[in-house]
Amino acid sequence: MIITVTPNPAIDKIYGIDRLKVGGITQDEFLTRATWSDTSAGGKGINVSIFLARMGMENVAMGFVGGHTGHVVVRDLRDEGVTTNFVWVQEETRTNVTILEHGREHIPILINEAGASVSQQEISRFMRRYKRMIKQASWVVLGGSLPPGIPDDFYRGLVELAKEAGAKVVVSAGGSALTHALPACPYLVKPDIRERLSMEGADLSTREGIITAGKSMVACGVEMIIVSHEFTGDIVITRDDIWEIKARVSATALKNLVGADDALLGGLIFKLKQDSGIEEALRFGMAASILCAESRKKICQDVGQIEAEMAHITLERA
Amino acid sequence: MKVREIMTKDLTAEEKTVPVRELIFILDSSEMPNVPIVDEEGKLIGVISEKDLIKAALPGYFEMLHSTSFIPDMNQLAKKLAQIADDPIEKYMQRDVICVEEDDDDLQAADLIIRKNLKNLFVVGKEGRLVGVVRRIDLLEHLL
Repeated sequence: MIITVTPNPAIDKIYGIDRLKVGGITQDEFLTRATWSDTSAGGKGINVSIFLARMGMENVAMGFVGGHTGHVVVRDLRDEGVTTNFVWVQEETRTNVTILEHGREHIPILINEAGASVSQQEISRFMRRYKRMIKQASWVVLGGSLPPGIPDDFYRGLVELAKEAGAKVVVSAGGSALTHALPACPYLVKPDIRERLSMEGADLSTREGIITAGKSMVACGVEMIIVSHEFTGDIVITRDDIWEIKARVSATALKNLVGADDALLGGLIFKLKQDSGIEEALRFGMAASILCAESRKKICQDVGQIEAEMAHITLERA
Repeated sequence: MKVREIMTKDLTAEEKTVPVRELIFILDSSEMPNVPIVDEEGKLIGVISEKDLIKAALPGYFEMLHSTSFIPDMNQLAKKLAQIADDPIEKYMQRDVICVEEDDDDLQAADLIIRKNLKNLFVVGKEGRLVGVVRRIDLLEHLL
């Protein structure tokens, strides 16, 4: 069984616009009309869950939800065929807004809420469920930011419990949530560097910086690190190899980056779970990521299209 | 068609040690009419509903009355509810749970929901672990 955990889910509200109007006096000057919009359940773990469900792979999504938007998240996941197991909290699940200006979709405008506060009692309720669920888990994906009320070492505890139960653990997060999880040595780490191009003092803005930071994580026991380097390229560091994985597409061909990183992880897990080799899994994951980014819809769903996209992906040993 | 094809795949469940107060919040926020109770392995061992809690909160002499209209005011109900709020739900849960297996036929699920007047019919896997629920609305959507 694959379990994803999204402590801070969201409704992803995406607006496509021609041009963002700022200031002015008349409505014509300050009103920006959306040319298209999309609403869906979001958050890193949830996006991985939706991707896997669309590939026909059973999985369970866990985390915290609350209020009206919490119901929308759960409903959306069920409609996608994802099994849900969320802890209900007092406060409302957040809404994250992405504005995509025509022709500049690869540089989105993001408005993210902090998220619903989680109490100690709600954390305890989650932990009871998590301990029960990981007994059946082969993969656990811990994804995204931590909402107010959850301690920074939350992921660390979840990694330790999942590893004890024999599951492979993926952590896709940034900031102190990730740095606190690293000593527990997850199987795979995907640092979220959207907010800061560094991690524990290591510079992740250059190829050399990424490789140095990745090697030090591998030395500490992490099996694989995937770091986004360019819009269409990642660097992968494992115990035995360093790969550069690239897609031969222009950044301006990308129409919606929301969830694209998560599709990469989803594609990778989907293939590894089917005992594919690491190289094929990485190419499939990157192809899924690019295909998602090339369309307005957040998560792609066609295996055939992903496999066709693999022709544009190169994987080279660095 | 198999039950697994029509069920809602939701694993919202609690353990028997959860206090009544917490369960009321879970029932309210999740909008579920009842919550399955599972053991540490996720096996279904009971169910508790709003109705079970109301029954538990009624004054002791209620059994002798024919109607709740004999209860003089809501204060007694509130007082009793406050008394049981920290009790573990295992004191009030139903232990004989009507359920089906995920490989059972949809007809069997429909029959149980209609005949037993159930709002939710819980679904278990081969080892007795909770795997989902067939709600009345799932049945109606499936039939349409």
